[in-house]
Amino acid sequence: MRNILTLAILAASVSGAWAQIGNPAFMGADTRMQKPGDPAPNQTNNSDRVFARLVAAGGAAEVDFAHMSADRASAESVKNFAQRMVKDHDAANHELAQLADTAKIPLPEGLLPDQEAMKAKLNDLQGHDYDVAYMAGQITDHQRTAHLLEWEITGGEDANLQQFAMKTLPIVLEHLQLAQKIHAELTDASGGIR
Amino acid sequence: MRTTLKLSLWFALPVSTAILIGIPALSDPLPPDLTYRPLPTMPFSDAKSIDEAQKRAVMERQQAMLRQRYDLADKPIDGTMMSGGRKPVQGGVRVKLPEGTTWEDLSNLTPTEIRDRNLLPSGFKPLPHVKQSAGGQVFPQAQIDAIARLEQRDLRRFDVDFDLPDHLTPEFPPPIFLTTHPELGDVSRGEVLSIRNFYEIMNGLITPVQMEGLRLLLTPFPQEEFNQTEDRKVAQQSLGVACLDCHANFHTNAAFHQTPDVRPQSARFRLDTTSLRGVFNQQIHGSKRSLRSVEDFTQFEQRTAYFNGDHVSATRKGANLPDRTNQVAMMAQMQNIIDLPPAPKLDPFGRLDPALATEQELAGEKVFMGKGRCADCHVPQTNFMDNNMHDLKLERFYRIGEVTNDFVALPDGPIKTFTLRGIKDSPPYLHDGRLLTLADTVEFFNLVLGVKLDQKEKDDLVAYLLAL
Repeated sequence: MRNILTLAILAASVSGAWAQIGNPAFMGADTRMQKPGDPAPNQTNNSDRVFARLVAAGGAAEVDFAHMSADRASAESVKNFAQRMVKDHDAANHELAQLADTAKIPLPEGLLPDQEAMKAKLNDLQGHDYDVAYMAGQITDHQRTAHLLEWEITGGEDANLQQFAMKTLPIVLEHLQLAQKIHAELTDASGGIR
Repeated sequence: MRTTLKLSLWFALPVSTAILIGIPALSDPLPPDLTYRPLPTMPFSDAKSIDEAQKRAVMERQQAMLRQRYDLADKPIDGTMMSGGRKPVQGGVRVKLPEGTTWEDLSNLTPTEIRDRNLLPSGFKPLPHVKQSAGGQVFPQAQIDAIARLEQRDLRRFDVDFDLPDHLTPEFPPPIFLTTHPELGDVSRGEVLSIRNFYEIMNGLITPVQMEGLRLLLTPFPQEEFNQTEDRKVAQQSLGVACLDCHANFHTNAAFHQTPDVRPQSARFRLDTTSLRGVFNQQIHGSKRSLRSVEDFTQFEQRTAYFNGDHVSATRKGANLPDRTNQVAMMAQMQNIIDLPPAPKLDPFGRLDPALATEQELAGEKVFMGKGRCADCHVPQTNFMDNNMHDLKLERFYRIGEVTNDFVALPDGPIKTFTLRGIKDSPPYLHDGRLLTLADTVEFFNLVLGVKLDQKEKDDLVAYLLAL
């Protein structure tokens, strides 16, 4: 309860204290409402459930890859990035797991097929090549996560998950910009740096 | 034969290997409704009653955001009316400063300092749609009333109302000026063009081809929120909307929408209706699409402005696909004779005539052409445009990803240069209408371009813009 309260306060400070308001046409027909258009706590629609599962799987893989990279990366910037990913994503993963549990959304275990493939690819690489491949993968992962978070903000109906999405989005975009910067430094490219 | 077979095996091998390796390496796509509009899950009558019950909260939330960002008061500039003489031009800077700062303080900070200290006035940030999750076209009350009176067609939404006060929008009905008859001046008779009255008002003034184009521009067709399906936001099954429901009298009534060019929904920024005056001189169309002709724009809007760039949804609700040769061309020809309002102080190259302009206007022109850098894009000789898109990179000044009323503030990216001719007639300003007055736009660009104008230069610039 306290977690939810803290989250709500945090989200309120981010969003300027106005609660999110969805389009009822796309809410589940069986949604219990506390007020018209305002779903009762922990009511979920399909978007909430897909969102929670994909973001949880992504977050778990982030931490997995980051642990691997803390050992295997060569550049200092990549090692630091990996450490930050462990720290930030551990906390967010934990929070999301709690919210999903409250909303009775089962989360996937282990890596998704594309994450397995990425892990296999990274296992075959070393040194600079490893660093570049890891950072390139991080760019894609954070792009996808940012869009999932944006989707949840208007597509979901579980207020806790939506507030989680609002709070997490600026951090994920920050990670994305950092990943772009490091990748550009490693490859002498300017792609993505604004 | 055998060699051929061997050869083809050799060629086939890398392909099949690629497929074998390729499949597991591909990731799942993101869920479909990040891009496509989902089908409604709630029965229409349920969704409608929820929307109606929620409308007050939606409007209060939007009004609270607007009041926090702006001074919305009715403060007209003395003796300065819009071109039709029906509405005064509003004055003064309306964007509120963060507590304890001044415009001068801000202009002395770097973009990074402003971002890190969260000092960008929130009125300079992208403006949210009144209801981000639903989006769609929202018409001002004057337009709703006019179309109800003239056509008995309902443009009123049950989920949202128009959000800006009437005094901060263009005069209504806007005057109509024709390139083919400059001597006539405003030919609107003070009326709103509609499918009922256009012939009576325009016969004798325009050609048959232009008349047919006008008829099509006034014919309602199904639209995302105004249609006959359960996925609509108007009470009765609707005949739809017409091009000139937003571009009232070929100008704008400040009706707004969301950009059709961005997904997912929370990231779609608001779009303020653009005037069609002077479109004959415009080389690119659509704030983000850079379409190269008004014909393309006219044709494609049936799936973009009407259906958010979702041709799948358009097909379900009833797309109108005007015939390129026989219909689009006529619609374009009608639009191409809509002139800008008279600007008697400008010479044929768009420069002030010193014999007619005041000293302050001339001083403003000097700032416009020089220190203010306005003319870098708004070139007087080419109708105050450069026919390009530019990225102001406003995100240098704020932290991206912040959410206001379910709208995610992200970089705008390149947006086309709009004309400044007749600019006093078309508030609010910028592509999303986030700036309410010309004084606001001067403060905005002073900060974004880092040109450090003093108060006199800013005032001169506003006086100059009013003369355009």
